[in-house]
Amino acid sequence: MHRGEDLGRARGTMIDFAPTEEQQALQEAVRQFAKTMLAPRIRETEKLRGLAPEVQAAAIEMGLSLASIPESSGGPGFSFVTRVLLEEELAAGDPAATYGLAGPGAFALAIAELCDEARCKQFLAPFVEHPDRFGAVAWGEAKPVDSRGGFATTAKWIGNSFTLEGTKSYVVGASRAETLLVFAQVDDAADWNGVGAFVVPKHVHGISIERVTTLGLEAADVASVRLEHVRVPRASYLNEAKEWSHRLLRFFVKNALLVAARCTGLQRAAIEVTRDYVQTRTAFGKPIGHFQAVAFNISDRFIDLEASRAMVQRAAFLWDAVAAGQAEENEALLASARAIGFAQEAAMRAGNDAVQLHGGAGFMRDYPVEKYMRDAKQLQVCGMTTTQADQLASRIELGLPLEWSLLVPTAESQNVFV
Amino acid sequence: MDFLLSDRQKTLREGIRGFAANVIRPQALSWDRNAGVPEPFLKQMVQMAAQMGGQLGVSLEPAVARAPDESGESGEKKKSSANLTALIGAEEMAWGDAGLLLCLPGPGLGGPPVRASGTPEQKERFFGIFKDMSETLAWGAYGLTEPGAGSDVAGIRASCRKEGGEWVINGRKCYITNGARAAWTVVFATIDPALGRAGHRAFVVEKGTPGFGVGRIEEKMGLRASETAELVFEECRVPEANLLGGEESYQSKEGFMTAMKTFDNTRPLVAAMAIGIGRAAYEYARDFVKERYLLSRSIPRYGAIAERLAKVGRQLEAARMVTWRAGWMADQGIPNAKEASMSKAIAGQAAIGACIEAIDICGAEGTIAHDHQLLEKWFRDIKVYDIFEGTGNIQRIVISKRVIEGLKGF
Ligand SMILES: Cc1cc2nc3c(=O)[nH]c(=O)nc-3n(C[C@H](O)[C@H](O)[C@H](O)COP(=O)(O)OP(=O)(O)OC[C@H]3O[C@@H](n4cnc5c(N)ncnc54)[C@H](O)[C@@H]3O)c2cc1C
Repeated sequence: MHRGEDLGRARGTMIDFAPTEEQQALQEAVRQFAKTMLAPRIRETEKLRGLAPEVQAAAIEMGLSLASIPESSGGPGFSFVTRVLLEEELAAGDPAATYGLAGPGAFALAIAELCDEARCKQFLAPFVEHPDRFGAVAWGEAKPVDSRGGFATTAKWIGNSFTLEGTKSYVVGASRAETLLVFAQVDDAADWNGVGAFVVPKHVHGISIERVTTLGLEAADVASVRLEHVRVPRASYLNEAKEWSHRLLRFFVKNALLVAARCTGLQRAAIEVTRDYVQTRTAFGKPIGHFQAVAFNISDRFIDLEASRAMVQRAAFLWDAVAAGQAEENEALLASARAIGFAQEAAMRAGNDAVQLHGGAGFMRDYPVEKYMRDAKQLQVCGMTTTQADQLASRIELGLPLEWSLLVPTAESQNVFV
Repeated sequence: MDFLLSDRQKTLREGIRGFAANVIRPQALSWDRNAGVPEPFLKQMVQMAAQMGGQLGVSLEPAVARAPDESGESGEKKKSSANLTALIGAEEMAWGDAGLLLCLPGPGLGGPPVRASGTPEQKERFFGIFKDMSETLAWGAYGLTEPGAGSDVAGIRASCRKEGGEWVINGRKCYITNGARAAWTVVFATIDPALGRAGHRAFVVEKGTPGFGVGRIEEKMGLRASETAELVFEECRVPEANLLGGEESYQSKEGFMTAMKTFDNTRPLVAAMAIGIGRAAYEYARDFVKERYLLSRSIPRYGAIAERLAKVGRQLEAARMVTWRAGWMADQGIPNAKEASMSKAIAGQAAIGACIEAIDICGAEGTIAHDHQLLEKWFRDIKVYDIFEGTGNIQRIVISKRVIEGLKGF
C-alpha cells in the first residue's frame, strides 16, 4: 500500500463526506481482502486465536501490518481518516481479526505519541524490517494499589539498569509479540505521575505469559504478562517526553477511536447479514422483514451505522486537522469521546438485535451473529469504555481539568484491553 | 473528506448566534405567550435577510432548500453547499427560537413543491410576491394534512373536479402552518379517492378565492408563536392556471411524486432545527451544572450527571452528522431520500431526549418560565419535531422500503 499525495489532508473549504480517490482505492482493496479472506474464516480465526498463516501472509503482502507506522519511521504515514476507513473495512469482514493482524498495532500508536521522532524511528525500525512481527502494550493491572495511586508493577533503578517486577493484565497479543511496551511505577511517591513506560523485548529473562479466555475477540489472544526481576537498560525508559500525561491521554483516545471504527465495521457486518436473513426467513406467510417491528428495528440499526461512521470519520479528520494546525486539540478530544461512546453502544445494539432477529438460529454457532454480539461486548471494553469516553466529553464541556488518571482506564476506574 | 466549516459558514453561524442570543431569545417567551411575532420585528428580519445578500435568507427560509435539479441551477455540475449552509443556519436560528423561524415571511413549506413542480409562469407569479416585502409581508403555506389523513397521505378526501376552466375543491385541511395568513397555499385534493395517489392534484389556492375560508386557529403545546390553522373549502373555485405543474404533469404518477420529493430537502432542515432546540437545552443544562455543581469532586451523584450530559451531547452530535450528510448528498446531487428520513428520525428523538434530560438535570428550576430561561419552552416546542414532516414511524417506513427488498409498505 502506498501513501497517496493528499490522503485526508485537512482543508476547510467545504464540508465533504467523500473519501479521496486514493482512500477509495485502499478501501476497496481492503474490502475485498476482508470479504474473501477474513469473513469466510471467522470461526477458524476464533479457534486459532489468530489468523491462519496464509491469511496473515496476504495481509502482510498488502502492507496492512505497517498501517500504524508514521512516514518518518518508514511506514505509509496514513492520515487518521485513512486509518479509520481501513479499520471499518477490516472489521466488516471480521471484527476479531482486526486484533490478529501482524504489525506493531497499538504499540506503534503509543510509541508515536510518547516519543520524539528519533526514538520512534528506532523502536519501530524492527517492525518495518520484519513486517511479520507483533507488538503489544502492557498497561492494565487487575487490582488497584490500596496505599497510593499508580501501578503495582514497579521499575527500580538498581545498578545501571531498571528492574521490572509485577504482573500486567489484559494485554492484547502478548504471547505473539516480540516487543512489549510495559507501564510500571518508577516513583511511588508521585502516584499516577510516577508511571513510566519501558520498551521490553519479550525474550529477556524473567517474562512469562499466561493466556486467558475471553468472551469474544478471541484473535486478540489476550494474556497476562508476569515480570520477575526483568532487567532493562536506561535506553528503554520513556518518561522523558514533555507533556507525558497529556500524550498518554491522546494515545488512549486515538486508540479508542480505532476501536470505534471497528465498532462501525461490526455494525455493518451484523446488520447486513441480518437484513439478508429477514428477507428470506418467513413466518405467517411472508418474509419476517416485511413485519413492521422487524423492519423498523433494521432501519434503526442502519441509522446507528450512518451516525457512527460519520462521527468516527469527523473525529479522525479533526486529529489530522490538529496535526496540520487547523483545529484545537480539545475539539478532536470531544469529537472522539462522542464517537467512541456512540459507536460502542451502537455496536452492542447491532449485535444484540442481530441475534434477536435470527431467533433461535441466532444462538447457534452456525451463524456469525452470536459471535458479533460477543465481539461487540468485548469491543466495549477495549481502548476506553463508554463511561470513560463520557467522562472525558463532559469534563471538556464543563471546562474541568483533564486529569488523565481519572480519564484513562485503570483498575481504579474500569479496566480495558489495550 | 473535510469536516471544517468554510469561512462563510462560520461567519453565518456566528452572526446568527449573536443575534439570536441578544435579540431573539429575550423576546421568545413573549412571542410564545402572545401567539405570534409582531410584524415590525418580522419586517426587521426581512430587511436583515436582504442586507445579507440573501445569505441569511438561505437559512431563514425553510423553503429555500433547493432541489439540485431545479431549473436554471446546474446542481449536478457545480458542487454547491447551499443545502449544508441552510442546515447550519437553521440549527442556529432554532437555537434562538424555532417559533420565529416558522413565522418568517416567505413561501415556507409551500416553496419546495412550487419550485419542484411549478411551471415557469407559476413560479414567476407565486414567488414574485416575496421579491419585495419592504411594504407588505407575505407567506406561503402547504396544505396536505386532513382531519382523517395525516401520515396516510394517500388517504386524503378533499375532492376536486373540473368545471369549465376552473377546478372546484371541497374539503378540510388541518394543522396548516401559516395557513390563515398565507397569500397562497399549495392544497392537495383528489379527483377520485379510489385512484389513490394517481388521483391526487395539487393546487395553489390564493387568499380570497371564493369558497375558501379559515376555520379554527389551534392552541398548541409549543411553537405557540407559529400560526397553525384549519382551512375550509366549500365549492372553492380555483382557476385552471393554478393547477400546480399544469395538466400534463399528472398523466403519469410522477406528478404527485415530484411534489413528495421535496421532503428529501425539507426533512434535513427540520432535523437541523430540532438539533438547534436540543442543543439549546443541552447547553442550558451544561451551564447550569457548571455553575451549581462541583464536578471535580468525585461524588458519585455528580459523576452520573456528567455522564447524562455527555450522552445527550453525543446523541445530538450523532444527529447532526447524519443530517449534514443528508444535506451534503443533496448538494452533490446524490439521491438522499433514505438519509433525509434518517436525519429526521434520529434528530427528532435526540432533541426530545435532550430536552427531557435537561429538565431532569436542572430540576424544578428548569420548569420555570423566565425571559432568559427558556428550557420549559424548548421542552414544549420540541415534541412536534418528531411529528410534522412525517412522524418518526413514517421516516422508518421510508427507510425500511429502501433497505428491505420487496417491501412495499405496511
Ligand atoms: C405544529 C404543526 C404544524 C403542522 N404544519 C403542517 C403544514 O403546514 N401542512 C400540513 O400539511 N400538515 C402540517 N402538520 C400536520 C403534520 O404533518 C401531521 O400531524 C403529521 O403528518 C402526522 O399526521 P397525524 O397527525 O394525522 O398523525 P397520524 O397519522 O394519525 O399518526 C398517529 C400515530 O400513528 C403512527 N402511524 C401512523 N401510520 C403508521 C404506520 N403505517 N405505521 C406505523 N405507525 C403509524 C404515527 O407515527 C403516529 O405516531 C402540522 C402539524 C403540527 C402539529
